Parts: sequence; C-alpha cells; structure tokens
Amino acid sequence: MGKELIDADVTMKFNNMIVLEEIKFKVHENEFLVIVGPSGCGKTTMANLLAGLLKPTSGHITMKGEEVNPKVHNISIVFQEPSCIPWKTVWDDITMGLKIRGADEKVIGKRCKEVIKMVGLDGFEEYFPKQISGGMKQRVAIARAYATNPDFLLLDEPFGHLDAQTRYLMQIEIMRIWEKEKKTVAFITNNIEEAVYLATRIIIFSKLPARIKGEYTIDLPRPRDLTSQEFLRIRAEITEQCEVVE
Amino acid sequence: MEKNNDTEKLRTIGYNIFSLCVFLLVWTFVSWLLKSSFFPPPLLVFKTFIELLVEGDIEEVKLSMHVLQSLMRIFGGFGAACILGIPLGLLMGLYGKVYDSTKVIIEPVRFIPPVAWIPIVIVLLVGFFRFVFVIWLGAFFPIYIGTLLSVRGVNPLHIDVPKSFGASRLYIIREIIIPSVLPDILTAMRVGLGIAWECIMAAEMIGGERVGIGIMILKYAQLIRMEAIIVGIVIIGVIGFCLNEIFILVEKRIFRWKEIISI
Repeated sequence: MGKELIDADVTMKFNNMIVLEEIKFKVHENEFLVIVGPSGCGKTTMANLLAGLLKPTSGHITMKGEEVNPKVHNISIVFQEPSCIPWKTVWDDITMGLKIRGADEKVIGKRCKEVIKMVGLDGFEEYFPKQISGGMKQRVAIARAYATNPDFLLLDEPFGHLDAQTRYLMQIEIMRIWEKEKKTVAFITNNIEEAVYLATRIIIFSKLPARIKGEYTIDLPRPRDLTSQEFLRIRAEITEQCEVVE
Repeated sequence: MEKNNDTEKLRTIGYNIFSLCVFLLVWTFVSWLLKSSFFPPPLLVFKTFIELLVEGDIEEVKLSMHVLQSLMRIFGGFGAACILGIPLGLLMGLYGKVYDSTKVIIEPVRFIPPVAWIPIVIVLLVGFFRFVFVIWLGAFFPIYIGTLLSVRGVNPLHIDVPKSFGASRLYIIREIIIPSVLPDILTAMRVGLGIAWECIMAAEMIGGERVGIGIMILKYAQLIRMEAIIVGIVIIGVIGFCLNEIFILVEKRIFRWKEIISI
C-alpha cells in the first residue's frame, strides 16, 4: 500500500437528518478505492465532502494532513449528473480546470489534446454538449477531471446514466487510464460487479444513516475476468454483505 | 430538411396574409352594413393614415413625429429599466439575504399599476421625465424579477464544476452565472419592452405635451374622429409586434448553443 493521502472521519447532518454517521476511512496513494452502497445512502454527499464542496457537520477530511480544499489541493471530481456546461464547447469545457488553476497556455493546449485523445473525443473539440451523445458528455466530464492531472480523482457513479454497453466500455477505459497514470481514485457506485471489477479495495456503506459495514481488499489479477470462480465468489460475498438487514 | 423548412415558412406567411385579407373584408362588410361614421371602413382608415403621414394632424404635426417622440420616450423608460433592473436583479439573486431583508419594500411596489402613479408623477415631475417614469415603472419589474429568478435558478451543478477546481467567486459569476442567465435576461427585456410600449398610452394621458402617438389618439378622441383613432391604435399594435419580432431574432442569433439541433 502506498502512502496515506486522505484521512476521513466525518458525521454529516442535513437539518436534523443524519446522512453519514461516524464514517471513518483512509485513502492511500495509487489506490483504486470503491465505495458501494444502496442508492440514497449518502454516497454523493460523501463525494462532495471528499471534494471539499461541502463541510462536514463534525469531524474532518484531510489531504496530506491539511483540511481538504479545492483551492489548495489538486482534486478532480466527475459528477453523477451530466455536468457539461451547455454554453461551453468540448474544448472550453475540458480546458476549464487548467485555466482556473492558471496554467500556461502551451501546457493547457498540450495536456488537453492528450486527454481528448485518451477519451476518444478528437474531432469534437468545437461541438456543444447538445450536439453530442450522453456517453460522449460523460467522457467530456472525465477528460475535464483528468486534464488537471489530479492527485486525487473522485468519480461519483460516473456511468450511472449510461447504457450497459457504453458502461462496460467506459469501465475498461477507466481501468486502462488508471493503470497508465496510476492515480489515486475514489470511485462511488451501487453496482457490485463494477466495484469488484475495478477496485483494489472496497468499502461498503449501509443504508441511511450511512455507516461502514465492511471492507474488502481485492487482489485479483488484471484485466479481471467477470466470469472466473474467484470473481464470482467475491461478488457473491459482497452482495450478501450488502443485503444483511440490521 | 432545409427545403421543407423553407416551404413551411412560406406557407405560414401565406396563411397569415390570407387571414389578414379575410379580416379586412369582414371589417369592410360590417362597416358597409352599419354605414356609421363611428365604424369607418379599412380604406378610409388607410386614407387617413396617408393624410396623417403627409400633411400631419390638426396641429400639423406629422405622424412620423408622433411615432418618433413616443419611441424616444419608451426607449428612455425601457433603457432606465434595464440599467436599474438587470444589476439589481443580479445583486438580489446572488445575495439572497439582501433580497429577503428588503422584500417588504420592493415586492408590494410591483403590484401598483403604473397608472396609479400618474397623480404623483404630475405633481413631482415635468416634461420628458413624466413619461419616462411611468414607462420605467411598467418595464422595470418584469426585467428585475426575470433576472432575479434566473440567477436563483442557475443549475448548482454548473457552479460546482468550477468550484471543484478552486475557482474564485468572480470566475463563477463571469463564466457560469452570467452566461446562464443571459438568455433569461433577454426574454425578460423582451417582455419589459412590450409592457413599456403598452404603457405609452397611460404615460401620454398625463398630457402637457403636443407630440406622441398616444397624444394624437387623445386629440382625435375629443373630436370623435374614429378613423384617425384607429390609425393610432393600429400603429401602436404594429410597432409593438415589430419590436418583439426583432428581439426574438436577436435572441436566436446570440444564443447559438441553445438553438443548435441535437443528435
């Protein structure tokens, strides 16, 4: 395991509703951490907390020992909902992060061409979101998140809105990118198969108020075979764990 | 595809011309039946229109002068409404607390019809500003409220995207909020301009001037000259219609990203 990057220990309330209850975990460098849990269990809240977009009611989230803050830390997030800015072209959208961080024009141009190629959007730079398909929009969001070369990449159910086939292709894609650039990733999903396919470690959230129900380290060889005995055994075990009613 | 669209457009224009002709025929027929000077036929109205255009009214003020003067007044009032309404709407939308704490003053004013202000206007203001003030009252609220609601309706996710990269508030306002509310502001301006133009009659009823399309109508109302009154009201309608159409064209031009066809 790599060095410790993120240390989370939070409780989150909205008005009087407890969403996250004493959630405690760490994220290590180069890790592909997957958080699974039923829908509506506060996973998106967890993502927004990790991105520094929300402040916890109590507790803390630190990155390299400092309270997480998008103005200080190099974090990127891919949101669950389609997040392309309707009046920005693919190019303007993807270059946004680096522009905000004040990068050099040349660096922006080079890096963004790279990521556009990586997600297979070359030729679509001048298109508006309305002109491209749902899967392409999500690739724009992923490219935008990758462009800044983040120390910590958050993916909040990024493939939830995609059809099964596109979803499968995107999983392979994200795996390829992760293996190539070895980033630290926190990936949130409600799909257990997806979790076992991608993760180095899985954390299971309970239903509301969310608590951590279990943790698994997955060390199957990659690329993982969705039909291997070992894969199916782990999948079944986690599914069972998710279905336990307290 | 494009050719179909063009023929469709031409057909719509054709239908409109046809409806107009039917309307004029029915009008002529009814006025021929009634044979009353209170119900002049379209031809007489047209003749009067030419007279007013060429020779001017009873005080020899040409029709074009009336229209020009009225347009200047409404653009004065409308301009003032934009200059005040858009920034105020943006401010109130961005800083909800300011809006909530001043609501008690601004909100009730919204429901006072511009005409109700006329007695106060007559006492407090003179000349050009009397008219401008009444028109401003009409145009201000749709523009202000439209801007305010639009700012409050910006998709929070679009704000979170730059925020997640550590963007400053200024960047978010410039790159996200302003482009997001611009189409709504333009729509609010279009509505505001329409209402401003509708207020021209109310404003010019204040009197004290000799030129203006509303004033011209009032002059002929005293003489019970129906054909000239109709010229006046038709002109108000046609100019309002043209202003609206021009605005819609501008809207379509500016917001290409909205109009674009999706695949």
